[in-house]
Amino acid sequence: MNIPGFLVRNAFRNKRRLLLSVLGIAVSMFLLVTLMVVLRELTQPPNDGGSSLRITVRNKLSLANPLPARQLPVIEKIPGVEVVMPFTWFGGKFKEDEPLMWPQFAVDPRKFRKIFGEIRVPEDQYEAWVKDRTSCIVGRDTFKEQKMHIGQKLTFLSGIYPCSVELTIVGVYEGSIDDRVVWFHHAYLDEALGDWGKVGDWWIKATSTETAAQICALIEAAFANTSDEVRAESERAFQLSFVSMWGGIKLLIGGVSTAVLVSLLLVTASTVSMSIRERFRELAILKAIGFQRRELCAFILAESFGLSALGVVFGAGGAWLISRTVDIKSLTNGLFVSFEVTPQMLGTAALAAAALGILSSVFPAMSVARMSVVEGLRTLD
Amino acid sequence: MQPIVTIRSLSKVYRQGEMEIAALDNVSLDIAQGEFLSLMGPSGSGKSTLLHIIAGIDRPTSGECRVGGVGVTELDDSQLADWRNQNVGFVFQSFNLIPVLTAYENVELPLLLMDLNGARRKELVHTALELVGLADRARHLPKQMSGGQEQRVAIARAIVTDPKLVVADEPTGNLDSASAEAVLEILRTLSSKAGKTVIMVTHDPRAASFGSKTTHLEKGRLLDVA
Ligand SMILES: Nc1ncnc2c1ncn2[C@@H]1O[C@H](COP(=O)(O)OP(=O)(O)O)[C@@H](O)[C@H]1O
Ligand SMILES: [Mg+2]
Repeated sequence: MNIPGFLVRNAFRNKRRLLLSVLGIAVSMFLLVTLMVVLRELTQPPNDGGSSLRITVRNKLSLANPLPARQLPVIEKIPGVEVVMPFTWFGGKFKEDEPLMWPQFAVDPRKFRKIFGEIRVPEDQYEAWVKDRTSCIVGRDTFKEQKMHIGQKLTFLSGIYPCSVELTIVGVYEGSIDDRVVWFHHAYLDEALGDWGKVGDWWIKATSTETAAQICALIEAAFANTSDEVRAESERAFQLSFVSMWGGIKLLIGGVSTAVLVSLLLVTASTVSMSIRERFRELAILKAIGFQRRELCAFILAESFGLSALGVVFGAGGAWLISRTVDIKSLTNGLFVSFEVTPQMLGTAALAAAALGILSSVFPAMSVARMSVVEGLRTLD
Repeated sequence: MQPIVTIRSLSKVYRQGEMEIAALDNVSLDIAQGEFLSLMGPSGSGKSTLLHIIAGIDRPTSGECRVGGVGVTELDDSQLADWRNQNVGFVFQSFNLIPVLTAYENVELPLLLMDLNGARRKELVHTALELVGLADRARHLPKQMSGGQEQRVAIARAIVTDPKLVVADEPTGNLDSASAEAVLEILRTLSSKAGKTVIMVTHDPRAASFGSKTTHLEKGRLLDVA
């Protein structure tokens, strides 16, 4: 036997507790890595063909500030831009009622299908919509839920702009992520506002995914130092910035990760101190035999370190294995696209485990260092 | 014979609030090399305290204790640990073997602190186990042995480093009379044949009779100064 052998023997003295502790650490480490993956997915959208072709351009100052309509020809001239469409959230309600749970957007119907290629509308209905300036199409879900019918008139009062619109339903669409929207003519909104000359956002379709990022930069540069500076982002990034505006998802994930680590530390620290306290008498014997204080502290550190190391290997390793073998994209309906466990995440988890190992051994090590042999011998086993 | 342990005016006072308890009260004592000393006295008379100070695991409030010419009371904690490793073997009432280690490994433990290779360690462990008559139990865990066997393994652990001094605090307190006799016989052999100084605390006169000399403590004072 040698000292490492002695340490291993000690670690395996209570196999069930060892198993449970390692499992506890592993589960927490798995959670930590998963949270890091989610955070990464949310903050850096992956290159997914469909949505990264779409670019939104909005006011740099705030989502709520409109942009001037005269920006249209400037954007159209930027190479790589296929279509530019105005896009304004109407924020309508029925008369005095609460704002509706299904939104209405003013767009250009002629360009609409080029940008939202996934939306399906019967051809005759689409043509009817394009032709009639006061018509609209309604998402299938809303259409059913509100028991609407073709030809029905909808009068909305805007909660954002000082106007109202009276629309005629000419078609029903489906196939988008959210089939609840009412789409109507931007030209009609302009008119209702008395030649408004502004738009909420611009929606653009790029000719290729590769140029999308470049186009974003060119558009932002085109309006830099004007009174209407813009922020251009691919659709996914836009959606995510919208989400984070509401909930501070990043903050939340950071908070949850911290809570996971803190509770893990508390549990592990108490497990380690319990297992050391049970062995006080033995440690006193080792001291009597001639083991130095620093050697006993090193033993405790090694034990707690080993525990955390095993935990992180199983936990972070498990997360990595899952990211490699499970098709997360189809499992989450495309919400998470790459679900990649990066070496950096594994490194972070390993660091957290190292800190865990050190911190949870601090107090037991201190109490063992302070313990006198006589005092330790007197503790009953 | 030359004394190996020299104790002069040794006192140990415990303070509990306003109360002062003198566990040892001005004790002076010489213990000759190779002697098997039985320390007797009623419970609470300071036997363990005296033994602990001689063995370098406790410190007196005042006074001096020299063992083999070394002023034990003057060493710092780290020096004391090394000194104990090389000079003192411990035997306790409740055996105190490490439960996850075999008899062999328990005996080997003090040798891990010394600069010895595996072959030399093996040789020493076997010699020690043979001396206590348990060479055939080397692979057994403590829970697979009787109390008497456990205590003999503990003695093997105490002598494997070839210390000058072996201290035993009520070594037969948890044993039946047959096992106790075997243990006492081994301790006597250590002093008579191997020349080790053995100090044994006991309150059993029969156990004490195995010693070459008996000293009585009462309320922290020596009754029969040699
Ligand atoms: N840590 C302590 N605090 C207070 N009193 C103590 C402590 N350790 C021992 N004593 C007291 O010192 C006296 C001697 O104790 P001890 O040497 O263990 O006696 P013995 O071994 O003869 O039974 C006893 O009165 C005991 O209560
Ligand atoms: Mg005692």
